Amino acid sequence: MNGFSPSTHLIVTLACPLLGAVVAWVIGSRGLSAIRQSAVVTTLVTLVLAGWLVMRYLASPEAAVGEPYAVASFPWLVSSPVDGGAGGFDIRLSLGLDGLSLWLFALSALLSLTAVLVSWEAVKDRAIGFYSLLLVLESAMLGVFAARDLILFYVFFEFTLVPLFFLIGIWGHDDRRRAAAKFFVYTLAGSVLAFLGLLTIVLWNASHTGSLSFDIATLTAGLAAHPIPMTAESGWLQMWVFLALLAGFAIKVPIFPFHTWLPLAHVEAPTAGSVDLAGVMLKIGMYGFLRFSLPMLPEASAAAAPWLVALGVVGILYGALVALAQTDLKRLVAYSSVSHMGYCVMGLFALEPVAIEGANLQLINHGLSSAGLFALVGMIYERFHTRSIANLGGIASKAPWLAVLFMIFTFSSIGLPGLNGFVGEFLILAGTFQRAWAGAPASIAAAYLAMAILAVLGVVLGAWYMLSAVERVLFGPSREPPGHGSRGHGDHGHAPHGHDHHAGQHAAAKHPLDLAWFEWAALLPLVIFVFWIGLAPGTFLRPAASAVRDATLASRDAFATRVAADSPAGAVAKPDAREVTLEGKP
Amino acid sequence: MILAAAASSFTVSPDTFGLLAPEIILVAAALVAYLAGAFAGFRHGWLLAFAGIAVAVVASDRQPGEAVSSVVCIDGFASFVRWLVLVTGGLLTLVQAGDSRLGIRRPAGTCEEAGTFLLLLAGLSLVVCTNDLVLLFVALEMVSIPTYVLLGLARQTARGQEATLKYFFLSLVASAFFLYAIVCLYGIGGSTNFADIAAAMRSPDGPGRLVATAMLPIAIGMAMAGAAFRLAAVPMHFYAPDVYEGTSSPMAALLSTLPKVAGVVVLARVLAIAGGGGAAAATEWSGLFWQVAAVLAAVTMTVGNVMALLQSNLRRLLACSSIAHAGYMLVGIAAAAAADPGEIGGWNGIDGLSAVLFYLATYALATVGVFAAITYLGHRWPVWTAQEPRPPREEVSTVADLDGLSGTNPVAAFAIAVFLLSLAGIPPLPGFWGKFSLVTAALEVDGGLAIDFSGSRAWFVGLAVVLLLNAAIAAAYYLRLIAAMYFKSTDRGVQADGGLASGIAMLLCLVAVAMVTFQPGGLFQAAGRAGAAGKEIHAAVPIVPGEQAGSLETASR
Repeated sequence: MNGFSPSTHLIVTLACPLLGAVVAWVIGSRGLSAIRQSAVVTTLVTLVLAGWLVMRYLASPEAAVGEPYAVASFPWLVSSPVDGGAGGFDIRLSLGLDGLSLWLFALSALLSLTAVLVSWEAVKDRAIGFYSLLLVLESAMLGVFAARDLILFYVFFEFTLVPLFFLIGIWGHDDRRRAAAKFFVYTLAGSVLAFLGLLTIVLWNASHTGSLSFDIATLTAGLAAHPIPMTAESGWLQMWVFLALLAGFAIKVPIFPFHTWLPLAHVEAPTAGSVDLAGVMLKIGMYGFLRFSLPMLPEASAAAAPWLVALGVVGILYGALVALAQTDLKRLVAYSSVSHMGYCVMGLFALEPVAIEGANLQLINHGLSSAGLFALVGMIYERFHTRSIANLGGIASKAPWLAVLFMIFTFSSIGLPGLNGFVGEFLILAGTFQRAWAGAPASIAAAYLAMAILAVLGVVLGAWYMLSAVERVLFGPSREPPGHGSRGHGDHGHAPHGHDHHAGQHAAAKHPLDLAWFEWAALLPLVIFVFWIGLAPGTFLRPAASAVRDATLASRDAFATRVAADSPAGAVAKPDAREVTLEGKP
Repeated sequence: MILAAAASSFTVSPDTFGLLAPEIILVAAALVAYLAGAFAGFRHGWLLAFAGIAVAVVASDRQPGEAVSSVVCIDGFASFVRWLVLVTGGLLTLVQAGDSRLGIRRPAGTCEEAGTFLLLLAGLSLVVCTNDLVLLFVALEMVSIPTYVLLGLARQTARGQEATLKYFFLSLVASAFFLYAIVCLYGIGGSTNFADIAAAMRSPDGPGRLVATAMLPIAIGMAMAGAAFRLAAVPMHFYAPDVYEGTSSPMAALLSTLPKVAGVVVLARVLAIAGGGGAAAATEWSGLFWQVAAVLAAVTMTVGNVMALLQSNLRRLLACSSIAHAGYMLVGIAAAAAADPGEIGGWNGIDGLSAVLFYLATYALATVGVFAAITYLGHRWPVWTAQEPRPPREEVSTVADLDGLSGTNPVAAFAIAVFLLSLAGIPPLPGFWGKFSLVTAALEVDGGLAIDFSGSRAWFVGLAVVLLLNAAIAAAYYLRLIAAMYFKSTDRGVQADGGLASGIAMLLCLVAVAMVTFQPGGLFQAAGRAGAAGKEIHAAVPIVPGEQAGSLETASR
């Protein structure tokens, strides 16, 4: 291990997919199997490297004290000021991991392998481009979570759009061009505003410290020392900056009512694109809140928190109700994403430690379950050439293992105790109820109580729409969908493929339509984590806990101050005084 | 009368020739090209042009960093822009050399075209090196007149001639506007020398102050109108789509870059003389320059982008995009005009002028790259059967002509996609760094003390918002091109008959874009130095108010 310092380890992990993309181009002439094998090897190596890095982090002294790990920093745009003054840009390629980014980093590496494997049979047209773009996307996603420089973060944040644009636009379904353009322009419009907010933060810090630093940790410290004013005389500047960041992050998450790009993009994307979109891209918005909005703009966050909790609840209910009305399985899963991200938003902005930790874990949970569900929907589509719930039925008898996995991910999604989804939702709801009881003024308490109860209603709705769809698709009478059995389908340029191909691979199998080896390989790791998180959530909560609490401490204090100012006697305890410890939870 | 007065002060000292060596080399190369074409029947004019530019680059590399001699002033600003002009000129030479094989032009004409192009470059280079209003005007005409000739030579169709005429007449109007600005500045300063005028305006009790109070708005307005034509900014933008459509792709590449350089230089010079904090602050017109620039910027970028959304012809679309980019550049000019030089204290990132220069460089690379690629693609394969007569050749001219390019010509498709994404400002491409520097410069106005939302700060925050939202609008039409190349398919590809040279130009631009992507620091720093130098006028000697302007050359080194 000598010479393989954590920093080198991180850089190698980030560069590995890029290298794989180059390899895919080089060996592209050898045919499809060489390309996809190289892609699987690349993502597998990246996953091993990322997993190993996570273990090294957990064993490191930095993890205990919540310090960033594997820090590496190189100058990128470092300019010295022209007329002799201090300052000048100091934009760096600086990387590192900490408790906030650790699991999302690992999740990106994990889901990238899934994304490659679910495309094994589905994508044969222009395979070099497809797998290269998937690998470039993996690098960008890993980079978002590893970036410790504001500009570098933004570069990765924005650059993820480019490979996804091509993935959706070339390999998507019928309406792919419109979906790709809408996805790109909609998200770009939000993130340019976020960029403006981020720049304002940098310049504010520079005007007080005299150095134009773009380092996120330096900025957090700088803004803690010199907060952006949040008063009427200053024009509510902090709130404006918060809203600018919100524009970018809320569209990414997406928070209701900025979700309209999501169903279109998810449904039209190829399965791998949906897996990466739902699994990782949505998390980047939440990560942005945790990394920038809450630590750097506490007063504005606290002021906006009740509204965002409300929007989260609206998202939960709206997503669930719309999902209930869907006839297309993939749309249903897409809207369930809107609903589930509502929980994350609600948990985060409840500004209660338990809820925030739950929201942070729920990001991973949703990444696993929605990626799994999208992958399975893709597999069903490949077999039966339809996603219409009405035209599907009795899959359990034709493909029992597929049905079993579908059930597992469904239960994970609706929060069955013992699986991962339960832990996250429970913590979020528990934290929100705590916030309701702790909020001394009756108005706040009642409002939070109402929101928490509505969110519980969302859980029920979630179980309803998922289980009724599962019941019809997996069980129900066996149907032969109209397109079933025909080889060619659609006009969207896919090479002909279908269940008969699987039949060739499973010549001896009793159920020729059941999962092939690569589908097992795509889903089994996710299933392992679904159970692991569900049964031992502490393993996953603990490394993130202190980082999450530190990041939100300022906002929680600001919220407590606001509540105290509202309440007559100031009888509100500081949030930290009644923190609930998570040790020993199931 | 001005000319007569100015001519009396035109005593050129010998070292002026040394400072103008690159321009003199360009003109000499132009003469060689003309003569070789006319008398020796030489057909490779663009080779001569390229060689001339290469020698000029070497000559400009050997010049001192800062030197003033009578009417010529070489400072950091001048050398940066001169580099930009020569590099862009070299790339454009390659693009046009490729085009000359298309058979659109007479092959015998290449020497004339190359010579004319060299004169244009010499004029443009002179624009930034001069220190005198009259020479500035002459230099600007030295840019305009070769442009008319080149436009006329490029297309001998009715459309092309219409484009040439349109450009010609509007250019004359713009020149007339700028002449008025020159007259006003001469009236204020009593001299044609930049330093004299600036000093006259800054002296608290001279006659210049009184005149300035009355004439400054006219001077600024006229100069802006003149520069707006060259930048293709509102209100002088409407010629661009027609002219670009009517001319050839290499000429469109030229029109979308070189005149913009001239426009930026003119604005920077007028700003340094009359608009900056020091000079105009003394009059009641202190905010005028940046207010006009800010309004024009907001209108220009929005108009350009919205117009571009509606275009289906490639060159029209890129013309509208070039209008929008002129708007982005005006944001930097406005920021430069609004920044109070005294205010910049403990920290500074980038000032408006540096940001504009940096943006101009990134924009020029990507735009020349796109046009180089389109030139390289040349014509589509015609659809015809052996029995029919061969149909006329069909140039790649509409967005639909790019359909399926990723399949038929993947390298060109990739290059175009990279250039377009850079123009759209997608990180980490150069266009992103350009927009980053413009937005930073805009937000830095008023020293970044982000408390007061009244006054200029609110304007510039608003301007930054408009700029960034425009970037999102622009992404929509750039993506349309990329979508055509990558998401559609075609049964008839392109011939890629635009010549090897334009292909090489495309690849060179791609390499340069990649370099700026990963190492933006060098160009950024150079632009920063240039912008700082361009904020003030370098005088050869301390100006004594009231002293005759003609005394300048006596003090020159």
